[in-house]
Amino acid sequence: MSNSLTGPTLAQKATVWAALAILAVPAALPLVWMVSTSLKADTQIYNAVGSGAGAVSLRSLIPDPVRWDNYPAALQTVPLVDYLRNTILLCVVSILGAVGSSAIVAYGFARTEFRGRHALFLLMISTMALPGQVTMIPRFAMFKEFGWYGTYLPLLVPVFFASPFLVFLLTQFFKTLPNEMSEAAVVDGATDWAIFTRIVLPLSKPALATCSLFTFLGAWNDFFGPLLYINDPAKYTLAYGLQQFLSAYGGKWAQLMAASTLFTLPIVVLFFLAQKTFIQGIATTGGKG
Amino acid sequence: MKRRRVGWLFVAPWLVGFVVFTLYPFLTSVYLSFTRYDVVSPAKWVGLANYRALFTDDDLFGKSLLVTFKYACIAVPVGIVAGVALALLLNVDIKGQSVFRTLFFLPSIVPGVATATVFVWILNPEIGLVNGLLKNAGVIGPNWLGDSFWAFYSLIFMGLWGVGGSMVIYLAGLKDVPVQLYEAALLDGAGPWERTRRVTLPLLTPVIFFNLVMGVIGAFQYFDGAFIMTRGGPEDSTLFYALYMFYRAWRYMDMGYASAMAWILFALVVGLTGLVFATQRRWVHYGA
Amino acid sequence: MALRSLRAKGLLLALAFVALMAFVVWPKATPRKYPDRIPVRYWHMWTAEWADVIQRICDAFNESQSTYEVIPLIIPGSVGDTKPLLGVAGGDPPDVMTHWASVIPSWAAADWLVPLDAFMSKEELADFERETYPVARQIGMYRGRLFAIGVGLNAFGLYYLPDQLAEVGVTPKTFPRTLEELADLGTKLNQWDKRGNLTRLGFQPSWFSSLCESYGGGLYDWSTGRLTLNTPENLRALEFITAERKKVGFETVNRFNAGLDTGSFAGGWPFIGGALSITYDGQWRVEQIGKYAPTLNYRTIPLPPPKGGVPLAGTTNGNFMIIPRGAKQPQGAWEFIKFWSGLSDPARAAKFYTWGGWLPINDRIAQSPDYRAYLRRYPQFQTFVDVLRSPHYTTLPPVAYQQFLSDRATRAEDLSVRGTLAPREALRRFEQEVAHEIRRRKELGYVE
Repeated sequence: MSNSLTGPTLAQKATVWAALAILAVPAALPLVWMVSTSLKADTQIYNAVGSGAGAVSLRSLIPDPVRWDNYPAALQTVPLVDYLRNTILLCVVSILGAVGSSAIVAYGFARTEFRGRHALFLLMISTMALPGQVTMIPRFAMFKEFGWYGTYLPLLVPVFFASPFLVFLLTQFFKTLPNEMSEAAVVDGATDWAIFTRIVLPLSKPALATCSLFTFLGAWNDFFGPLLYINDPAKYTLAYGLQQFLSAYGGKWAQLMAASTLFTLPIVVLFFLAQKTFIQGIATTGGKG
Repeated sequence: MKRRRVGWLFVAPWLVGFVVFTLYPFLTSVYLSFTRYDVVSPAKWVGLANYRALFTDDDLFGKSLLVTFKYACIAVPVGIVAGVALALLLNVDIKGQSVFRTLFFLPSIVPGVATATVFVWILNPEIGLVNGLLKNAGVIGPNWLGDSFWAFYSLIFMGLWGVGGSMVIYLAGLKDVPVQLYEAALLDGAGPWERTRRVTLPLLTPVIFFNLVMGVIGAFQYFDGAFIMTRGGPEDSTLFYALYMFYRAWRYMDMGYASAMAWILFALVVGLTGLVFATQRRWVHYGA
Repeated sequence: MALRSLRAKGLLLALAFVALMAFVVWPKATPRKYPDRIPVRYWHMWTAEWADVIQRICDAFNESQSTYEVIPLIIPGSVGDTKPLLGVAGGDPPDVMTHWASVIPSWAAADWLVPLDAFMSKEELADFERETYPVARQIGMYRGRLFAIGVGLNAFGLYYLPDQLAEVGVTPKTFPRTLEELADLGTKLNQWDKRGNLTRLGFQPSWFSSLCESYGGGLYDWSTGRLTLNTPENLRALEFITAERKKVGFETVNRFNAGLDTGSFAGGWPFIGGALSITYDGQWRVEQIGKYAPTLNYRTIPLPPPKGGVPLAGTTNGNFMIIPRGAKQPQGAWEFIKFWSGLSDPARAAKFYTWGGWLPINDRIAQSPDYRAYLRRYPQFQTFVDVLRSPHYTTLPPVAYQQFLSDRATRAEDLSVRGTLAPREALRRFEQEVAHEIRRRKELGYVE
């Protein structure tokens, strides 16, 4: 969109297209393998074993016969509806809490001046540098003390207090916004809150969308958090369900791949639909101002 | 004067969260690093013994630090170059742009468990897809994850496969580039490559800076692939610092020792990050 | 602008609505089946059809009495250490758990396991010590106290394909009596394709710490309680493994094994497909063959000892029942362990062992009608019962740093069979690493 007025020639576009198409092969191959395995019978997955080298080719990616029933079989293993509901619950609250609070904090770091701002910012960044493995115990003990063990609270409450990762990302974005508009607004007597909600937020939609995406992915994929704090199967999430396919003695590869495919599919659809909206330019809107 | 207090108000949510949820665990782990603590019995003060033992009695400490350092030195720059390049290509208005974007983003959203399993299969030296394809091209592929040299690079390749995550950030950053600047460059007669170099890249630097810092922090805590796929082997070639620390904490039950390891890593990473921050003024361009 | 903010408001409202809905459908706790009974929370790491077996055992226990309700919870293996340890540290552990044998010494040393002998009368304890197979007892003990009772022990033996052996004129009757002969037979059975790729592996030894026992060595002297890492016997074991590996080629075997690894579970076991003529594996394969290749012609036999070595020797592991410190219902946990393991009623418990395809822990279970019926159904399973009963079958050193020691033993073997270090050098380094670890622990003031 934004580039269309300064856009490259047709030949250049064709070159880019070709480059992307070539790169797409290694990017897609593992995924193709995942989906193809999810449709295979166990016998086809294994028949390459011990059959000597050279048996593997692209043709082996085609399931023969196609076993659709790997999917219902995978679905039967876990209480899907419950897990899906719990996962969505955690995702929605996480996005609302984390992106909202992080945007506020990021505005403070990017667009206001106060003593100790730099030091505080570095402090925040450095909190990410300590591996969580050693803070897990005191953190756990703390939440236990709060009486939050066995509930979603240890997972949900902290997200409302901003995530350093998102604050950092948003700060970088907020800093690139032109200053003139907010300066004009200050002259007009607008408060920082007004500048934040009326100018900065609307101009930062791509960044906010990116943050939402990361938060969503984080919550969607997190199995560790729920596992540590929750002791009731009724409260577990999809990511936990996926773990169930990975047992030392299981080896149901086709079902694991079917489950993984199902687990990934909603995000793919979501991204495909959303990317148009959120990658669409602030450049345009900013330009029209 | 009023604006100053407003700044504090804005950062208050994080500050409160930091004091309530992070500060206490942080201070506790500092304390634990000076103790003998097996997670169950109460911690016993041992002074600097953990730190001393790390440098004198531990054959794996230096080894794991080295593996991790090597990883950071390779994975971070390669990841940034790949991410920026991909984002630039995906920013060109071509047919199927959204399909390409989705396709390249996809790998970073496949759950880690599934990714690991998929790679164990396709990197299998005998029956894996990669070596099968190489064979058709007349090349005998290596024993990827089972080879002391290649296992490490297999993990780097896998990381590169998930580069779509940072690509999305760059893409969002590219959308921040004001059109006027392009128009100005166009009037100067700059071609697409010139425009990229003179206009796009400089404006992308805040986001590159972000990814650099996060990349360094992330690389030094790299864990997942080594934990699920290689367990540190073969021959300790993928014994990453965070993996070794995890073993020390939870497998060998020495949380005090692991805390000391964590704080050494912390000091190292904060130092490095500080250096990166110090260079910021030279190459990162923020909006006028 | 106005329109845009309207849309933003709409979006916010929609999100708020979804959030509200989420609160409405906030998950309810799983209802208890026996709300009036004392809950006994039980954690384990089995999944899929194994989890169903566990559920059936819990159901059987819950139906057998009216005081307790055992509530099982599956903990994925990747948090098998973290979650229970956090539970103990945070003061809310489960009441009873099944965990891998390898955690017992370190957890017992950290004093977070409840000694189980405290629940037994003198006579019960005497019976237990007399009847339980030596290895099952050894694994469960730390410094003279009993901390764990095995319910899913493993035993290892040889699986072979008589049809392939017949190609070189060997019958089950003339099966090798020594490890050396076995290795020679393995060499004869290797097959290569025209391009020089290994297509069938006759036999390859591995499992360094287990093989040490066969050579009359071992990593621990149980009578003196000392580590014996770098001994001539252990060196011979490592040299033997390395030499056999070298014959076929370090890289070749590594690659071939990697090819096998991926398919090594369930129906993909390459032994079934004929890619391995003779292989050393666990008892669970018997049931797998029964399920995935019921017509396969195969036999099992204990690993023959090296010349002058010890028969029916080796090390093993398995799944053990433990009660963590801080358990709120230790008595209920103990009742459950007794029920399942068969200490209270072997004849009844034998059924559970057969559901899971588990090895018995004493002859009373092995001789029970249910278990004998199981052995009639899977005659090849008998080999593993024989191995498990052996007084020479043992486990890794019962020291608090066992996991470290076992990881480094694996690494020593790794270094040696890849040709990076000579066996002697690998073993020396292993000994040194462990010595450093012991010194480190001493300096930090650990008891052991």
